Amino acid sequence: MKYLYNKKTTISTAFLIMIGLNIVILNSCAVSQKIATKSGVQLWSENCQRCHNTPPPSTFSPEKWETIGLHMQSRALLTETEKEKIVAFLKQ
Amino acid sequence: MKFITKQIRQLLIFCLLFVFLTDSMAQQTANAVDSALLDRINVLEKQAAYTKPGEDHFMVVGLATFGFVSNKTTTTIAASREVTKTNSLADADHYEFSPMFLWRHGNKFLLEFEPSFSKNQLGVNWAAISYFVVPGLILRGGYLVLPFGTYNKRLGAGWINKFASDPEGVAGATDYGVEAEGGFQAGSMKWSYDIAISNGMQLLPDGTMQNAGITDNNRNRTITGRIGWLPFSNSSLELGASVMTGKVGDASSKTENISANLYALDMNLVENIKPFQLNIKGQFSTTNVDHADYINPTDTTKTYSFNNRTHTSYIMAALRPMFSNNKVIKNFEVAARYGNYTSPANSLLGTKDNSLALGLNYWLNWRTVVRFTYEGIKATNTTSINTGGTPGVVTQSNSMYLQFSIQL
Repeated sequence: MKYLYNKKTTISTAFLIMIGLNIVILNSCAVSQKIATKSGVQLWSENCQRCHNTPPPSTFSPEKWETIGLHMQSRALLTETEKEKIVAFLKQ
Repeated sequence: MKFITKQIRQLLIFCLLFVFLTDSMAQQTANAVDSALLDRINVLEKQAAYTKPGEDHFMVVGLATFGFVSNKTTTTIAASREVTKTNSLADADHYEFSPMFLWRHGNKFLLEFEPSFSKNQLGVNWAAISYFVVPGLILRGGYLVLPFGTYNKRLGAGWINKFASDPEGVAGATDYGVEAEGGFQAGSMKWSYDIAISNGMQLLPDGTMQNAGITDNNRNRTITGRIGWLPFSNSSLELGASVMTGKVGDASSKTENISANLYALDMNLVENIKPFQLNIKGQFSTTNVDHADYINPTDTTKTYSFNNRTHTSYIMAALRPMFSNNKVIKNFEVAARYGNYTSPANSLLGTKDNSLALGLNYWLNWRTVVRFTYEGIKATNTTSINTGGTPGVVTQSNSMYLQFSIQL
């Protein structure tokens, strides 16, 4: 239990709480929207950037985007609708 | 008058002959053109037949990372200090070339294979077959990256990482096994699950947990699982909790009933606060191994024990003026990372490390980056004298990296 009460842990906990509050405040401004109502470009911009920069559609051929779509669906655990809409946008 | 009529008649005959001959020639030319066109169409049809997308598709992507590192390590033992300096081009610890082969069969099967040349050896990062059963369920079998935390599966790749080095202690667990995973929506939130059953980790005689590229040492399987939660509809925040549990001792040995339980919490926040993009990512994990006796390295006829717990954590933040109108400034990114790694005290493994990394990155395009990273690691030795250790020794390591990384 001593571990829980040391100074570093207190500072870290306070820091994390501050981050948490900021996240809630920042996102309270966002309009809640279901995936079904979102466009492919919106889902592309929201999901790809969770791990890496967003790739432009010109990077790969439509056929390659199909394959990469499956790869990314399993890696980032995208929903089926998200994957289909993002791939459709990137194939354009 | 008769002469004029004759002349007109001759002229008409000449015109008729001219029209007839011209038409005949044109007809021949048209036939020749039509024939050439048909031949060309036939050739194109054959070419199209060869290039039309079939049910399967094979492609190669991959990544390469190389650079320069300069290091100064100061070791302090009581009142004495020892300083060593090194620098290395084609830095072996941080060089990587990893092609990734993706082979898709229809929209249901995907084979993924990533060999990798890194740390002066050729290895395999993963090799697995995925079956996309229904929306929200993917089954996988093979050599898997286990779903423990998110760093190794998603964030550790050179072209994704904000730093030239990895946080200490987050080395990935890769094992042979089967896996079920998926993502689904619940209202405006999203959830994901990922569960794997694998051969399992192995407890080495000195108490170290080996969790990558291992051979099966017992009949028990290890279960690893992670739940991910994205509470906001814009997917800006993801929180995750992971568990890994299983018996780790060798079969038919004194440690055969020894279990290891690992827990991890991870978070990932990406917010666009124009003109900036803010990234905050972190992971905390702990490893608890049941009480066991280990061979004393100073006297192998005796055993000793210690509290076999390891804690690892890191938190990082990166800021990039991605939405700036300036074409140069928008590609710069600054980043900072704090890490902690505490391995079991009073063992031969004991160390308490704190690290701070600062980075300045320049993105040449979305998947190519030049990184400058400073990393300082202060390691305090917490080993036991009884095991031949030197507790209290402090090692300060300062490294400067200049690194290039690309995804192809």
